[in-house]
Amino acid sequence: MIKHLAAASLLLSASCLTIGPAAAADPGITDSEILIGDVEPLTGPPALLGVAASIGHKIAIAEANAAGGINGRKIKYVLEDDGYVTARTIQGAKKVIDVDKVFAMIGISGSGQSIAVMPVLEKSGIPTVIDVAPVKFLWEPPRKNVFVVGQSYEEGIIHLVNFLADKNPGKKWGLITQDDDYGITVRDGFDSVVKAKKLNVVYSGNYKKGQQDFSSDMLQLKESGAEVFLAGGIIAENIAMMKELEKLSIKPVTGIFWPGRIEPVLKLMGPAGDGIYAVDYVEPFAGSAGKAFLEKAKPLVSEAEFKGINRYTMTGYAAAKVLIAAIERCGKQPTWACTIAELEKTKNVETGVMAPISFGPGVRFSNQKLQIMQADAATLSFKPVD
Amino acid sequence: MQYLVQLLISGLAIGAIYGLIAMGFAVIYKSTGLVNFAQGEMTMITAYIAWTISTTVSGNVFVVAVGAILAAIVLGLIIERLVMRPMLGEPVFATVMVTIGLAVILRSAINFIWDAYPHGLELGMGRGIVHLGSIGVRTGQLAVIATLLLLLAAIWAFFRYSKVGVAMRAVAADDRTALLMGISATKVHALAWAASSVIAGIGGVFFALSYDLSPAMFQLGLKAFPATILGGLDAVLGSGLGGLLIGITENLAGGYLGSGMKEVAGFAMIIVVLMVRPFGIFGERDIERV
Repeated sequence: MIKHLAAASLLLSASCLTIGPAAAADPGITDSEILIGDVEPLTGPPALLGVAASIGHKIAIAEANAAGGINGRKIKYVLEDDGYVTARTIQGAKKVIDVDKVFAMIGISGSGQSIAVMPVLEKSGIPTVIDVAPVKFLWEPPRKNVFVVGQSYEEGIIHLVNFLADKNPGKKWGLITQDDDYGITVRDGFDSVVKAKKLNVVYSGNYKKGQQDFSSDMLQLKESGAEVFLAGGIIAENIAMMKELEKLSIKPVTGIFWPGRIEPVLKLMGPAGDGIYAVDYVEPFAGSAGKAFLEKAKPLVSEAEFKGINRYTMTGYAAAKVLIAAIERCGKQPTWACTIAELEKTKNVETGVMAPISFGPGVRFSNQKLQIMQADAATLSFKPVD
Repeated sequence: MQYLVQLLISGLAIGAIYGLIAMGFAVIYKSTGLVNFAQGEMTMITAYIAWTISTTVSGNVFVVAVGAILAAIVLGLIIERLVMRPMLGEPVFATVMVTIGLAVILRSAINFIWDAYPHGLELGMGRGIVHLGSIGVRTGQLAVIATLLLLLAAIWAFFRYSKVGVAMRAVAADDRTALLMGISATKVHALAWAASSVIAGIGGVFFALSYDLSPAMFQLGLKAFPATILGGLDAVLGSGLGGLLIGITENLAGGYLGSGMKEVAGFAMIIVVLMVRPFGIFGERDIERV
């Protein structure tokens, strides 16, 4: 009897090994549907990026569904709100993966949140494309199932400071950063150029996250005589800083980083924002690519969603396009293993909103090409300058 | 010298906003014995309503002012009637927790009703820059300082001479005796919530006018709270002055000690003051006889 049981067990084990994971259906896929999950800040101030990114995902999904879905299966988007709270990001990711049982993940909140959720993603092995907050930790070391579309904050700052330094040789510099991981990354990027180009930094400030009044900080900047200024705020902070500078009647050459490169910011800065420089890896809406994207998006989203479009919509759209294309290449029976393999084979995928996207064996970061843009207060837009 | 004067003016301007919100804290505490942790959120909601009126009804400053004041009254009354009155007689801890829950709900309401983008409150005035000598100041900043001073005088007169003001002081001093004297404590509480909402809302609207509206605006409540503690939780006028002191201290610390010191200076100041006067600079010593 024992011999019979052992033989049956062996037979069962062998059959499982032979069939392998490919035959065992991965979660989130039925004959008519594929589920894609996401966790974003949809409430609180960072909703500005979370909502916009989710709109980008929706546009790509709507576009694919309108064309018949992925090999006949419609894509369903499962979105959770984390309120930009790390514990809720982890909770949301677990819920989306274990309860909703999605087939793939996309987006995933801010930099700190995506770093915190990494063990959950790695352990589950689910195919994931991150697009909201690219930071090195997400792709160094490369994780088998996690891909990142974008460019690193540090590289972005280095590109911007190099551009401004070459354009303004011998000038005095000022910098202000936020007292968190974002601010540290901005400062690290800045410091690396300061050393390489021997920049003369006369003001270096550090503000507490949530600060709203920058009167004393900007007064210090004025007193220091800084002629080139890197405003390391995110959105409302940069607006407040530029308006303080206007009040103090000074206008240093100013650079801002891409989280703040959204058009409504220019409206609020008014004339104070005219001519400021920004760095980004997605196309400006004022250009032909940006206009084409808006045209494409209009019929695919609601009026309220259309108003919520900003640069993060483009990053979300591009990442969703790459993920959808990879699943599609797996044919009628896509699996996690195949999707990951196809994501790795992604080569020069055109999305129309940024430079072509590529990954490769062991390469999980798309390393997007950067460009410098300058604000035009008259048209409330950013235009490429390099 | 010009540097110092510039810091003082900017400090007074932001301090006046803290002061108005701090007065909102104190009005509720004085009348109900409760610290309202949703004060910053109520301030933010009133400012957003003012912005909505300016963009949908009329950008006329008087229309926006009247609309925002009415909205603030309604907001205060609704919160008192639906949320706070059912908590009457419950432990203070439970009631305070309710205000914390209310804060979270109001904060989230911003994204549901409006959006996460920053917005400018355009009323055709308040954003212009005037030069006092060589020092640039926004007209809205001058207006908020003047408004705080006017409100301080008006509130002093209200508590000193009006029947309602005296009734509020009576309820604050001893609600049971006040009840025996025919004063309705619930009416006084409702009035306190409405008044607090209006006073703090004025601070919020001036903030939106001088700076901008954003979902992070509720954090003004966190800055105004030390002003209330400094001035005295039960001292409405003291809280207003406490706001000015915190604003000036923050700016001087930021200007002379560095950016990082700006946000902690106010809290450092209240620690020192509370060591000497635990009931705040203008607060009344609470004597318990046993």
